[in-house]
Amino acid sequence: MDMTNMLDQATLFFTAQNFLSREAKLLDERRFEEWFELLDDEIIYEVPNREVRLAFADEVPEGAFRILDNKALIKIRVDRFNSGYCWSESPPSRTLRVIGSLIVNQSGQPDIIEVESAMLLYRQRGTDMPGDVIPVRRLDQLRLTEAGSKLLRRRALIAETVLHTPNLGVFL
Amino acid sequence: MYKYNSVVPGDEKKYLNALYDRVEEGLNQGLLPVDVFNDEKVFRAEMERIFTRTWVFVGHESEIPNSGDFMLRKVGLDQVIVTRGSKGEINVLLNHCRHRGTEVCHEDKGNATHFRCPYHGWIYKNNGDFVGAPDMRQAYGGRLDAKKWGLLKAPRVDTIHGLIFTCLSDEGPGLREYLGGAAWMFDAIFGLHPDGVRVLAAPERFIVRADWKSGAENFCGDAYHVGTAHYSATASKFIPGDVRETGPNARGYMFENGHGFIGHALRSWFGPPFELWGYPPEIRAQFDLSHLDETQIDMITNVPPTISTIFPNMSYLRFPQPAQPGEFPLAFTSIRLWQPVAPGVMELWNWIVDYKFMPEEYTKRSYIAGQFGFGSGGIFEQDDTAVWEGIAKVGSSPWSRKEKLQLNYQQVRVEPDPNWKGPGKFFNSIYGEYMQEAFWRRWLKDMREST
Repeated sequence: MDMTNMLDQATLFFTAQNFLSREAKLLDERRFEEWFELLDDEIIYEVPNREVRLAFADEVPEGAFRILDNKALIKIRVDRFNSGYCWSESPPSRTLRVIGSLIVNQSGQPDIIEVESAMLLYRQRGTDMPGDVIPVRRLDQLRLTEAGSKLLRRRALIAETVLHTPNLGVFL
Repeated sequence: MYKYNSVVPGDEKKYLNALYDRVEEGLNQGLLPVDVFNDEKVFRAEMERIFTRTWVFVGHESEIPNSGDFMLRKVGLDQVIVTRGSKGEINVLLNHCRHRGTEVCHEDKGNATHFRCPYHGWIYKNNGDFVGAPDMRQAYGGRLDAKKWGLLKAPRVDTIHGLIFTCLSDEGPGLREYLGGAAWMFDAIFGLHPDGVRVLAAPERFIVRADWKSGAENFCGDAYHVGTAHYSATASKFIPGDVRETGPNARGYMFENGHGFIGHALRSWFGPPFELWGYPPEIRAQFDLSHLDETQIDMITNVPPTISTIFPNMSYLRFPQPAQPGEFPLAFTSIRLWQPVAPGVMELWNWIVDYKFMPEEYTKRSYIAGQFGFGSGGIFEQDDTAVWEGIAKVGSSPWSRKEKLQLNYQQVRVEPDPNWKGPGKFFNSIYGEYMQEAFWRRWLKDMREST
């Protein structure tokens, strides 16, 4: 790899790291309107089911999702948080998203990059509940635009087959 | 976190019998002692007196269509392998080797003719029969009896509309008899097309910090909570209409053995397009209702069963809901299990099913509608999982125990409809909490029976 390519790679890596870190902060601080602005209009957000299988390749069953949202459905979730009647997040979870292990790749399209990352989401619910850890491997696509990067696709694969947090009232 | 388990004066059986007396006296006055929702002794008794004795749901035939297919499931606290044997029969086997107890199956599903224990190598056929072990002649002096040393096998497995139930006891009624009027309801829910229904995708599972009975009693007759607990669905403008009308438009179909179905007057509430749960005309055109009786047809036309519990822990849900905001609602169908894990803790299993004949274009959307409403990410279910947690907490509250706190099941009741021609009883109002009472009376009967 020549120097120009390396610099390109470093720029892409910085772009992805910067996006994911800032996104995590917005979510942790529940700044959902600002977070929503980071979503591409074509976004697909999916949380697949996972099963215990002997072969890794068999672990994600076809067509089985805990969440399969487009932008309009994500908007409903945001509006629900703000409705005053979202009991699963009353009081809201205190969260900390730690994101790392980034792998950044070019996609076939010049304005889209693929970003793989690992996330440990710590979540304390209620008033006195012990906290939950939600371990996730994300596969994202970012669309690079003049107005900044937008999240075009997110596949959030949870490490658990039986989810131990009682609901997915937080974005992964 | 510390879980309080009350100090018991005298022996446990005495404590439990005294609690059953309190539950019975309470129910006679529309009251329920909170202890039942979170108690170590009650939970252990439930495992012995309910889950190893009564019919419980373990899955759907469409999940194991081929010979050799298997899936891991739970019956009470026990992990079982549900297999499709070489003759097409369904077996329910305890997932433990008969030699030292090691688990013989290690994945949620698959296809296998045999299960081999990883400890000493005992091998079983997928119908549970013992077939062999290493060094059989030296170790055992010959072949062991295939049945005697086979995997523990449920004495009874039966299906209705592809729904697989098992009973770990060979005593008591058969499945159809046990379901009674609920089987007649299933005919009108799952029997609308000769090809039947199928599970659309693998079920999801998640731990809820609430007792299994909180889910079961909610689905057997509680339409009252919807207007409050699920008001965000209206406030976020996700669903057309107002969820606060869910209670007033709900009716009750009550059957023996604690099985209860909520019905909704969808036609008078939303109009004729919502006959038959709101299935669109092109879907309805393919239904075959010829084997349904007049009462069943009238029921699904006007007040289709929408939510139910089959005692002890299986529930059903079919309701019209938009797949996307602003779209016309379409019916989705969910089957769920409130699987006991510990006192005050359950594992919720959620399957989304639909009729086999339905085009993918429909089932893709009904799946999205279903999981957006119910499941770990579902906007309705999320709030249920949160509000039920408090019930489990008060169930083991030392102060509540000291005061012998009882919960209020005292809503005003209407008489059952005297003109009802179907099995069981039909009530023109869901208020009254009569089906929750019936659920608890059935629970009490099972809990008492073997003391």
